[in-house]
Amino acid sequence: MLDIIRAKKVFLPGTPNEHTALDGLDFHMEKGDFVTIVGSNGAGKSTLFNAICGNFWLDEGKIMLDGTDITYLPEHKRARAVGRVFQDPMRGTAPNLTIEENLALAYTRRERKPFRRAVRRQEQELFREQLSRYHMDLENRMKTKVGLLSGGQRQVVTLLMCTLVIPKLLLLDEHTAALDPATAERIMEITKEVVKENGLTTLMITHNLSSALNTGNRTIMMDSGSIILDIRGEERDRMTIDSMLELYAEKKKKEFDNDRILLSQ
Amino acid sequence: MSLLIGSLQLGFLYGIMALGIYITFRILNIPDLTTEGSFTLGLAVSGMMTISGHPWLGILMAALAGAAAGAVTGLLQTKLGIHAVLAGILTMSGLYTVNLMILGSRSNLSLIGSDTLFKQIQDLFSVDKDAAYLIIAVLAAVLFAAGLIAFFRTHLGLCIRATGDNEDMVSASSIDVHAMKIIALAVSNACVAVSGGLIAQYQGFADISSGTGMLVVGLASVIIGEVFTGKRSLAVGLCSSVLGSIVYRFIIALAMKSPIFPAYALKLVSAVIVAAALAIPVIRYQYSMRKKKKEAGTHA
Repeated sequence: MLDIIRAKKVFLPGTPNEHTALDGLDFHMEKGDFVTIVGSNGAGKSTLFNAICGNFWLDEGKIMLDGTDITYLPEHKRARAVGRVFQDPMRGTAPNLTIEENLALAYTRRERKPFRRAVRRQEQELFREQLSRYHMDLENRMKTKVGLLSGGQRQVVTLLMCTLVIPKLLLLDEHTAALDPATAERIMEITKEVVKENGLTTLMITHNLSSALNTGNRTIMMDSGSIILDIRGEERDRMTIDSMLELYAEKKKKEFDNDRILLSQ
Repeated sequence: MSLLIGSLQLGFLYGIMALGIYITFRILNIPDLTTEGSFTLGLAVSGMMTISGHPWLGILMAALAGAAAGAVTGLLQTKLGIHAVLAGILTMSGLYTVNLMILGSRSNLSLIGSDTLFKQIQDLFSVDKDAAYLIIAVLAAVLFAAGLIAFFRTHLGLCIRATGDNEDMVSASSIDVHAMKIIALAVSNACVAVSGGLIAQYQGFADISSGTGMLVVGLASVIIGEVFTGKRSLAVGLCSSVLGSIVYRFIIALAMKSPIFPAYALKLVSAVIVAAALAIPVIRYQYSMRKKKKEAGTHA
């Protein structure tokens, strides 16, 4: 489904700040896989997502999605097949447009009829029905400007926007990290539900190791722009947070000192 | 009375320009200086077409020329990555030459004796000159306002509105942000040029310097309009821009009539109105903060 072949990306090459964000990374995932990604800050997790979405082009390597080479496809064209939810709830929605207008915009992935009325009756019904399934009481606020919603509510709208038209690939970039624990849990439940129901091929970055091991069917750990651990199946089932940290330390031959990961157990 | 009618006529005609400014200033969040060039462009194109006997075609050509000018600014801004304001300045500057070229190296073109669309309508219905001119101005402004309101309700319009709001999200929804900006600038400048084209036929001449300060006039109209209606929906915003344009013309007419201001004070008065209108929210905020601080001081 998704094949990343020897991806390399160096930022600010030839300067003292040169930084290798992706270092010949190889990654392959099957249709319907739900892969969680962990790693310390600066490991290249978000860079990997940016590369898949097309925020920049790779220096070397190739990205294949569902058999098509998307390495040099512009961002908005890839977006037809790739949905992405960011950590920052402000990034995924347009604050001055209403909920239904935001959803109508996301619906562009399915239909491109520029001169047709943006929000029609039947679409309104569809959006309302979809939103009501999340039990956030958003279905009765379709005409509310998204800027007036809370972070959690905005994240639900974003999640729906990304899955309204089923994407080939869903990218979740720490999408619950900016929310309070209760809301984060609720959004996580919704996420699992949506992914399961639609059989979405999903990549999720998280700093919560237990959630990384309990969600999806495979977990990878990144460091310095490459994948240093890739577990699934039985091996993953037996994995505990402690043994994972140990493994990391072993691989890195140094203490795992990222307090953000330690604290979020 | 003539002051009232004259201000109304001008208010509606310049209102079409205010609609264009609303698109760039309130929807895209860019003060677009292309306006100054495309207004004169509309004036020149419509003027030349009128003296060769095609006043209606002149307005259509003005719209197309304005759209092209807007598209150039859009291309500079998106594909070549030039700062939005600078891109507008570059197009405006280049248009000066283009406008002189269209006017045949003249800086002034008289339409006296030519058949303008205003005169045609007046003759057709054999009504009073003021009434005919006012009806055309109102019809034109209403037509454009209604057209734009309908346009921004379409899917394309929605995409443009979202582009001014959150570019990341628009791009992530598989929409080409660059194309949206170019289209918005083209539509905006088409409105501005049509306004210029109508003004040329209305006043009976086209002058190369007519566009100077037009952006400020447009911004003043948008802002004054919002004083009356507040920032509500897009439809209200567009209508209030036309209203603002009319009020602006009244203010200017009154200011010019008073003995305090000489005729050349027009642009300074406009600039002061815009600066004051933009500053009011900030001043109001600072005043309320100071008041709070004072109150806290007395209670302590």
